[in-house]
Amino acid sequence: MEKILVIGSGPIVIGQAAEFDYAGTQACKSLREEGYKVVLINSNPATIMTDTETADAVYLEPLTPEFCERVIARERPDALLPTLGGQTGLNLATQLANRGVLEKYNVRLLGTPLSAIQKAEDREEFRQLMREIKEPVPESWIIQSTEDLQAILDQVPYPCIVRPAYTLGGTGGGIASSKEELWTIGNKGLALSMRSQIMVERSLLGWKEIEYEVMRDRMGNCITICNMENFDPMGVHTGDSIVVAPSQTLSDIEYHMLRTASLKIIRALGIEGGCNVQLAVNPESFDYYVIEVNPRVSRSSALASKATGYPIARVSAKIALGMTLDEIDNQVTKTTKACFEPALDYCVVKIPRWPFDKFASGDRTLFTQMKATGEVMAIDRSFEAAFLKAIRGLEVKQKDLRHAGFAAMNDAELKSAVRIPTDERLWAIAEALRRGWSVMDVNRLSRVDPWFLRKMVGLIELEGALIGLKDLLWDREQVWQTLERAYLAGYDSQTIQMLTGVDPEFAKDWSAVQPLVESAQPALAAATSLQAAENALAAHPEANRANQALWAKWDPLDLDVALGSTVLAFLTQYAHASYKMVDTCAGEFESATPYYYAVHGESDEIPT
Amino acid sequence: MSDALVVLGSGPIRIGQGIEFDYSCVHCVWALQAMGHRAILINNNPETVSTDFDTADALFFEPVTLSDVLNVVHQTKAKGVVVQFGGQTAINLSEKLSNAGVPILGTSPESIARAEDRDFFEQLLSQLEIPKPPGRAVRSREEAQIVAQEVGFPVLVRPSFVLGGRAMEIVYDAENLDIFYKQAEDANPGQPVLVDKYVMGLEAEVDVISDGETTLVPGIMEHVERAGVHSGDSMAVYPPSSLSRKVQADMVSYACRLARALEIKGLMNIQFVVEDEQVYVIEVNPRASRTVPYLSKVTGIPMVPLATRALMGQQLSDLGYGSGLWCLADQMPSRPAWENPSNKDIGPSRVGIEVSPERYLESSIAQSAIYAVKAPVFSFQKLQRVEPSLGPEMKSTGEVLGIDRTYEAALYKALIASGIGFKPTGYVVLTVNNQDKLKAVGIAQKLKAAGYSLAATTGTHEALMSAGIENTMVHKIQSGTPNLIDLIGRGEVALMINTPDSGHTTTQEAMMIRRACIETGVACVTNIDTAEALTRSLDYFKDPERAQCLPYHEYFQGVS
Repeated sequence: MEKILVIGSGPIVIGQAAEFDYAGTQACKSLREEGYKVVLINSNPATIMTDTETADAVYLEPLTPEFCERVIARERPDALLPTLGGQTGLNLATQLANRGVLEKYNVRLLGTPLSAIQKAEDREEFRQLMREIKEPVPESWIIQSTEDLQAILDQVPYPCIVRPAYTLGGTGGGIASSKEELWTIGNKGLALSMRSQIMVERSLLGWKEIEYEVMRDRMGNCITICNMENFDPMGVHTGDSIVVAPSQTLSDIEYHMLRTASLKIIRALGIEGGCNVQLAVNPESFDYYVIEVNPRVSRSSALASKATGYPIARVSAKIALGMTLDEIDNQVTKTTKACFEPALDYCVVKIPRWPFDKFASGDRTLFTQMKATGEVMAIDRSFEAAFLKAIRGLEVKQKDLRHAGFAAMNDAELKSAVRIPTDERLWAIAEALRRGWSVMDVNRLSRVDPWFLRKMVGLIELEGALIGLKDLLWDREQVWQTLERAYLAGYDSQTIQMLTGVDPEFAKDWSAVQPLVESAQPALAAATSLQAAENALAAHPEANRANQALWAKWDPLDLDVALGSTVLAFLTQYAHASYKMVDTCAGEFESATPYYYAVHGESDEIPT
Repeated sequence: MSDALVVLGSGPIRIGQGIEFDYSCVHCVWALQAMGHRAILINNNPETVSTDFDTADALFFEPVTLSDVLNVVHQTKAKGVVVQFGGQTAINLSEKLSNAGVPILGTSPESIARAEDRDFFEQLLSQLEIPKPPGRAVRSREEAQIVAQEVGFPVLVRPSFVLGGRAMEIVYDAENLDIFYKQAEDANPGQPVLVDKYVMGLEAEVDVISDGETTLVPGIMEHVERAGVHSGDSMAVYPPSSLSRKVQADMVSYACRLARALEIKGLMNIQFVVEDEQVYVIEVNPRASRTVPYLSKVTGIPMVPLATRALMGQQLSDLGYGSGLWCLADQMPSRPAWENPSNKDIGPSRVGIEVSPERYLESSIAQSAIYAVKAPVFSFQKLQRVEPSLGPEMKSTGEVLGIDRTYEAALYKALIASGIGFKPTGYVVLTVNNQDKLKAVGIAQKLKAAGYSLAATTGTHEALMSAGIENTMVHKIQSGTPNLIDLIGRGEVALMINTPDSGHTTTQEAMMIRRACIETGVACVTNIDTAEALTRSLDYFKDPERAQCLPYHEYFQGVS
């Protein structure tokens, strides 16, 4: 075997974005490292993957079976790696196999066999397999025609979920709470499915949604890369959910129960490479159901890679070549092998980014059909800090947990905003908690786990303390303690200034003077007499002048000014974040190419 | 890390700021490394190559905001920050970072502010004798009406300092002007609203690389759709298929003047509109744009590495590049840039030449040996209730490229790659607005000649019949069954050409038709220029084997 064909994922659409350029580029590098020639076909020019440096031959041609066949005929690759180009790449590989193109040109498929992929993607085959290995799947009905749909209208427990088979990111699915709705959504799904196949299943709305990223090689070695918990419970597409890694609300028993199930499933499927397993867990019992398996590189695997430092696409490509986990180096540490399960000593929060700032008329409710165009990820020592950091990085109007729109709502309106998932629900939840609604009430409405809600309550209390800081001004110690608590919880200096109400113009003037004043500080501190202090000041006439000008413009006795200078003094002294490493191993081994995340109030790990 | 330089990423992917910016950031990092620098990258998007663990010398997985960036610079003692590759996210921080004492590499924050300050920019254009559509920045509804009276309707109304054409509208009357003024004002409170004469012409754009003196124009991209469609949503062809040589020379000349006046060090994007051979500048972005990866691939100019060298203070002339337009050389003596020993590691992959605007006018370069067409890709299937027709506000989420030896073949590839094609059976349905009826006749003729069966709604049906084109009439939705929606539902539509009435908010009916197409997987073309382009490539739809299928660098072979 010399030459390997890789099919890219084509243009960026919702449900299939930059993650496939990331995974594809990494995998091409990984294959070439082992001495193979890589032929690539992808119609998306805005990718690193399609640079002539990434592959040996790059075809910027349409991703159709016809053009793929022409590429195969011209290049005569020995093998095809189908699991890197998302659903587009996988569907094309399946079409090429079905049309006999692969056989005709003697192209073998690498990695997870197509039969296993089919088992994972075809609902009926998947359910059959789950039944065989005794893993629970929610009751469901496979529907292939309008007549089938008509026949089940009276049998199905409502609400139920409609999922079309073989589509991108759950296109055409939805939740039906009545016969009429099932009829409409079901027919639409049948039209959109490549195979005219939909599944109708029991709704698990409100259950916890958990994902496991797992990896298996041809010898049957399996590891868990990480698990992830959706902040939004079942009923919201995982691409539209706020996701936390590792899971925060599972007990040890639950964690291992689901891990065991995930590993059992990829063994039974015979996956060779990375795989994503989605599970639903009843928050009130140990019941769980297996929801879905993605037998390929996916958006979730990209997130898991970044969250742990474990390069899933790279390792999957090596596994596809027949290597085993114990033979593959961990590129981040360069001292360990890929069979080590990553260890996380931090918390990761992902928040999706939706296009509703552009599509004001669009339907903002979130269901089983993904609507986000992108996402941000934040890493920090605690859920609270990572959550705040992610919000700050979204580049939306809201920089913290406040939202003017929800603040202006009456309780009835707010109640429905908390109940119905939308792109802005996290702020509605925050507003409800700010109004003193109990955690249990908000949980009943939103089904978001009380653990997350309590964390939000903590942040909102700090937010209130910062807003009310002016009233504490007479007690400097308490002011500093409040600022310190907020800062250590993850509020950054800009947000602290905003919440405490520091006048931005004062902040600008103060910050301009500060370095000058600081230059005089050592001499002042060393002065043992009044005379010495005066001399020290006289020796820094510029600092002296700037300082005087500042306090001539701003009245130091004014409460707002006093508050401003206190907050700014605190931030100057304390608010320099230090950085920790993501090294896949929680510091257990030396690391060659770690990356960094900011923390507040801890020691720094940047090499000097 | 004290010798390190920071490259700012572009944050989460959104409409208007996509993967293209990540592409540029990654290449900037690599270019800095090739120059012997340590490159630090800050970004918080987990989906990208830029946040892969081994892309930069050090990755900081942090939001691209002022305080987070300042912290990284403070802790790493980095020597400077590159802001021009991370889209609007990064460029918006340049002034604040600079005020906090952080050196900005490349085009200075002052120049960036000048390019984005409308008043200053207008003065600059008039000093440089570069025409722009008449109009100006206003701060009140009354003032907006006055400007509209002066320049005449239609006018283009948009907020200043926003991304991707948000809240931008073409306004045809005083009543709508009030409404859209308010929208534009709300989109960016406190900033002026721009009201300009709407020039209904061909649009084109360039991305240029400059060191402040020498300015290289790698290529001109001509938009397929006329003005009024956001540049991110229009199809674009390189090299231009219909712009005259004089028009192209003007564009290159304006680009060189602007780059010098703004002291651009690095990349800049300029958008033009052309009417009656007159070139107007409509927008300047002093940063890498979304067309950089595509243009880099089809011109062979390593645009980001070159721009990175320019922003680090190197001279383009020392790197083997001169001022002017880079063209595929087939008659002019070629001068491969890599022959210059000083730029070995930039490694241009193909032969080209630059010509100054004057020489370009005189030269007689033959037809290009390659054509590349970019087409937008939308995600309307996922977004219910979103109006899918094209306008000044960007709606696409991605793009594809079609490359071939002829314009028509490249068009064909771009169209099918973006999902526009004919279903095997059914009618091609035309339902177009009055302004488009004339063009619709030409389109219908070609479709008919290619053997497609046509259907049309009342008005279009009559227009076609009176031009002698046989077609089946279908009812609009209110006029009884079977109507257009039924036809779509029964799978009897192979392709839909449906253009919205301009100047009016879309009617419920037109939107229902377009949504029905989207939800049943029928391609729906909503712009008459796109439809015309489609008919140019019908030969290839009939016989796709006529199109080439080559690794893209091979399309360039035989060009030198």
